Amino acid sequence: MDITWGERIDLFRYALTAAAIAGLACPLIGVFLFLRRTSFYGIALPQFAAAGVVFGFVLMPWWASHVGLGDVTLEMALSDTHAVMNYHLAWAATFTFGGLFALVWLGRRGGSEIGRVAAAFAIANAATYVFGRLSPVGKSFVDELLAGEILGVGVHELETISVLLGIVVAAIVVFYRDLVLVSFDREFAVVLGKRVVAFESLLNVLVGVTVAAGTMTLGPTILFGLIVLPPLAARPFASSMNRFLVASSLFGVLAVVGGVYVSFAWDFPLGASVVAVAALELIPALFVRR
Amino acid sequence: MALIRIRGASFGYSRRAVVAGVDLEIRAGRFFGIVGPNGAGKTTLFRGILGLLKPLGGTVERSGATIGYVPQRESLDPLYPLTVQEVVEMGAYRRLSGWRSLTHADREAARTVLARVGLAEKESARFSSLSGGQRQRALIARALLTKPNVLLLDEPTSGVDRAAQARILELLRGLHREGLAILLVSHHLALVRQAVDEVLWVSGGAVRHGDPRELLRPDQLDELFDTHGAPEDD
Repeated sequence: MDITWGERIDLFRYALTAAAIAGLACPLIGVFLFLRRTSFYGIALPQFAAAGVVFGFVLMPWWASHVGLGDVTLEMALSDTHAVMNYHLAWAATFTFGGLFALVWLGRRGGSEIGRVAAAFAIANAATYVFGRLSPVGKSFVDELLAGEILGVGVHELETISVLLGIVVAAIVVFYRDLVLVSFDREFAVVLGKRVVAFESLLNVLVGVTVAAGTMTLGPTILFGLIVLPPLAARPFASSMNRFLVASSLFGVLAVVGGVYVSFAWDFPLGASVVAVAALELIPALFVRR
Repeated sequence: MALIRIRGASFGYSRRAVVAGVDLEIRAGRFFGIVGPNGAGKTTLFRGILGLLKPLGGTVERSGATIGYVPQRESLDPLYPLTVQEVVEMGAYRRLSGWRSLTHADREAARTVLARVGLAEKESARFSSLSGGQRQRALIARALLTKPNVLLLDEPTSGVDRAAQARILELLRGLHREGLAILLVSHHLALVRQAVDEVLWVSGGAVRHGDPRELLRPDQLDELFDTHGAPEDD
């Protein structure tokens, strides 16, 4: 029996709202990664988060017997990946921040940034599959996580991602000027007496929170796309920094809306469809030089 | 009046001093130029005066100074789609914190300094689209918006054509005549010779301090460069 568009949207309203929120917030973080020439972080860090989530499953039997999972039994936690959201989020955050701080620390020692991030991605990617093999939920869950099959997102995930990405957007709005200043001209910010290290740390925390929450809820594929592609699409059309941020968010939300349409119309995975539409948004940028 | 007072200071990296025994007073209304051979420590001394490097020894007092800093424009990434106005307004960020927005007076002050450096009509242009000389003047405007009593410039005429160099020099002389203390680091000896009141000659880890007409005399320069490569001159 065919179901109408309205029924589909109603059925998957939590997932679609979560994706739209990510479409709004992730490109804002992507803008700062792009301008600081660290866009590859937007690919490597979600892979760390994914490895963290899968590692959480490997550890889950031990954790359930030694620490406990609250009211949830091990069987429930393994059969419903959304049952212990905070547990998964904690592992995603642990691996994301671990990877982020390792990259920042290694960056201060000099050397090739691209080589470092590429190596980090390769390691995290391999770790994800190794942990997937070791985990009680097996390879199918890893495949689902990486593909971005997000339609099972429930109200708790929606609440979590809304709160966390809401905090990220609010922090960017409140500290916008200082974050841009510190990124654009660090030395001038030091001379002005700005707390440069604090703002750089804040930016790293915002990146980590976005990646951890986004990966856990939506999967790394959609997150790659929403962090990296909308800023690239918006940059040639942006005549000021404000407009760059706003346009990047608009491209992100449009990618989600378009991806939902493609996914529902042709029964494609939603995450990959969002990324495909975000990639199509790059085409106009090819014809504009700024 | 001393705006910046340095006593027996040494500056360097990883506890290794690049310049040592620096005694210097940056006084109100004076124009200083830091010159010397490549790799002698001009930038190290400049960063020490600016406060970007902590002294390894000695003392640096800046309590009387409100510093306006003009970095080398090459250090700023053209990837940022900032307008000239957005860059210049950064000069007003010193006293703004968090969500507090720029006031009408701040925006007017930004327009005034842009007009002062001859870029009033470039307000809405992308900073990265400006010529080298124009970008340098925009950065001077940004520094002026901080309402400094001493302006520190890092190689302000590097990589710009002669016309742009002359315009920047004219602008700096005008600011100096208005009473602003200026300190610039430059490898353009001709520019320094024309403009400054006092020269800081950095060489062999030491700083010599003197009158440009004396210290930058051709025969004196021959002696100074005897064991070092000569900086660019024009």
